[in-house]
Amino acid sequence: MTHPLTRRDFLRGTTAALLGASLGFGQDAAAAKRARVVLVRHRDVLDENSAVNPDILQGMLDEAVMKLLDESDPVKAFAKLVKPGETVGIKTNVWSYLPTPPELESAIKRRLVDAGIAEDRIGLDDHTVRTNPLFVNATSLINARPLRTHYLAGMSGCIKNYIMFAESQEALHPDSCADLGSLFKLPMVKGKTRLNILCALTPQFHGRGPHHFSRRYVWSYKGLIVGQDPVAVDTIGLRLIMAKRREVLGKDQELPPVPKHIQLADTRHGIGVSDINAIELVKLGWNEDILV
Amino acid sequence: MDEFGRSIPKTISGWQASGEDRVYDRDTLYAYMDGGAEVYLAFDFRQVWARKYASPGPNPKELTLDIYDMGSPEEAFGIFSCDREDPGAGIGQDSTYGFGLLRFHQGRFFVSVMTTDEDEASGKAVLEVGRAAVTALGPSGPGPDMVGFLPRESLRPDRTSYFHANVNLNNRYFIASENILGLDWSTDCVFAEYETGSDKPGCLLLVRYSGAERAAAAKQSFLTSYAPEAGSEGLVQTENKKWVSAVVRDRYLIIVFESPDPDWARKLSSSIQIPQK
Repeated sequence: MTHPLTRRDFLRGTTAALLGASLGFGQDAAAAKRARVVLVRHRDVLDENSAVNPDILQGMLDEAVMKLLDESDPVKAFAKLVKPGETVGIKTNVWSYLPTPPELESAIKRRLVDAGIAEDRIGLDDHTVRTNPLFVNATSLINARPLRTHYLAGMSGCIKNYIMFAESQEALHPDSCADLGSLFKLPMVKGKTRLNILCALTPQFHGRGPHHFSRRYVWSYKGLIVGQDPVAVDTIGLRLIMAKRREVLGKDQELPPVPKHIQLADTRHGIGVSDINAIELVKLGWNEDILV
Repeated sequence: MDEFGRSIPKTISGWQASGEDRVYDRDTLYAYMDGGAEVYLAFDFRQVWARKYASPGPNPKELTLDIYDMGSPEEAFGIFSCDREDPGAGIGQDSTYGFGLLRFHQGRFFVSVMTTDEDEASGKAVLEVGRAAVTALGPSGPGPDMVGFLPRESLRPDRTSYFHANVNLNNRYFIASENILGLDWSTDCVFAEYETGSDKPGCLLLVRYSGAERAAAAKQSFLTSYAPEAGSEGLVQTENKKWVSAVVRDRYLIIVFESPDPDWARKLSSSIQIPQK
């Protein structure tokens, strides 16, 4: 029988262990999946007004993708992800309070063009991906969005970013959005995601108000979390959110209720790795207050 | 709710209404808010009327006025009560304001006024818009009857929450990753905090089920998942040296968390003024 994660697990200090074991759901040892995730940070990517320095951000993305794919040149690294002649969709996020930064969208687009993708074959969309011809015909997808908490799903990360591909978003809401991982098995999506970029320049670690947003719960972390496995990327994102919540809100509020979809994306839907012990986290750049 | 478009001024302290006023209902609320809709749908939410205001001058700032018809004053209190962290602002039946976010309830309406570009001027405008809106909302209304069951001694009244569903409980006070209390639209819940003499309050969860059998089953489910070592009294000391207790009275489940000792939990549980059948 599955033992639910409870408040007492926090008091015992066993949440990390339980989360590592996917909220109590057993890992299949035989599967032995592993994933690499790159966390890159730069002190100067944001100025004092949180304006993004596009050149530094481009460098961060390049560095992360090179490290991820063991390449020494960013264009060659991107050429490992996409091939000339392809149609590529960049699934962005337009949530008004904390959207994917346009500078990040531009950085991705630039490297796709450098890798030989025609500009008119690159789609950039969020709400209308289901009907956008560039996404309907896409052979590759790049998944890019900010890291934040979510009142229902616990965390909005790369897995949840694909909810716009669903015929019914509401159908994915029961049980704390437990089955968001199923999105990656939709015909429009399956097997096409080449890169997941969780933007942690200014992550949001807690929500207030009707729209679940307040500037007081956003901080300048100045990072990108990059990987080919959306579950592994979100697992690291969740660790970061939990660490910040523990620091600011206290130990008993470290987990935003209840991000079970990340673990279930692994254990129920098999689309990636949520076991922290099976994730190789590579850290690049600025190390201060790194938290994970 | 279209009457709000006429009754609430389009210019307030120099801030001008911008764009079209919009109305969202239970079917369209997801299109308006990503991250919070489920919270409203867990109450008797009917519609929300939304208007944006822009500040005067170049590089205008923006604020958003949302008026939620929650169906009844009890439900309006409920949605207001689940997210109280800031001091009062003296607007409506009760209110909070902090960091550019004003929240209040009046009658069957819950209202939020919010700016993400908070400074002195925009903060003042948020409060002015709230004061203008409250005059359009009609008379006050009663709160949930269950709040009246709570013992008043040592109660922190501004920390009492009323709700129905597990999503609201877990955001107020996380208990478990599964819905071990069987909460849904048919259950009424009050979560309250009490002074204990230390810096940590004791907490009370009172749940009203549709019948005594459901309440008893919920207690058993809770003890199995949360306090399996509890004896017949439903009382156990947790890892932080505090006590938790669970008892059923008629169709009510009473759970005390963070109790400094067993007697404190017993006394609080027995002090609840549950009405006689």
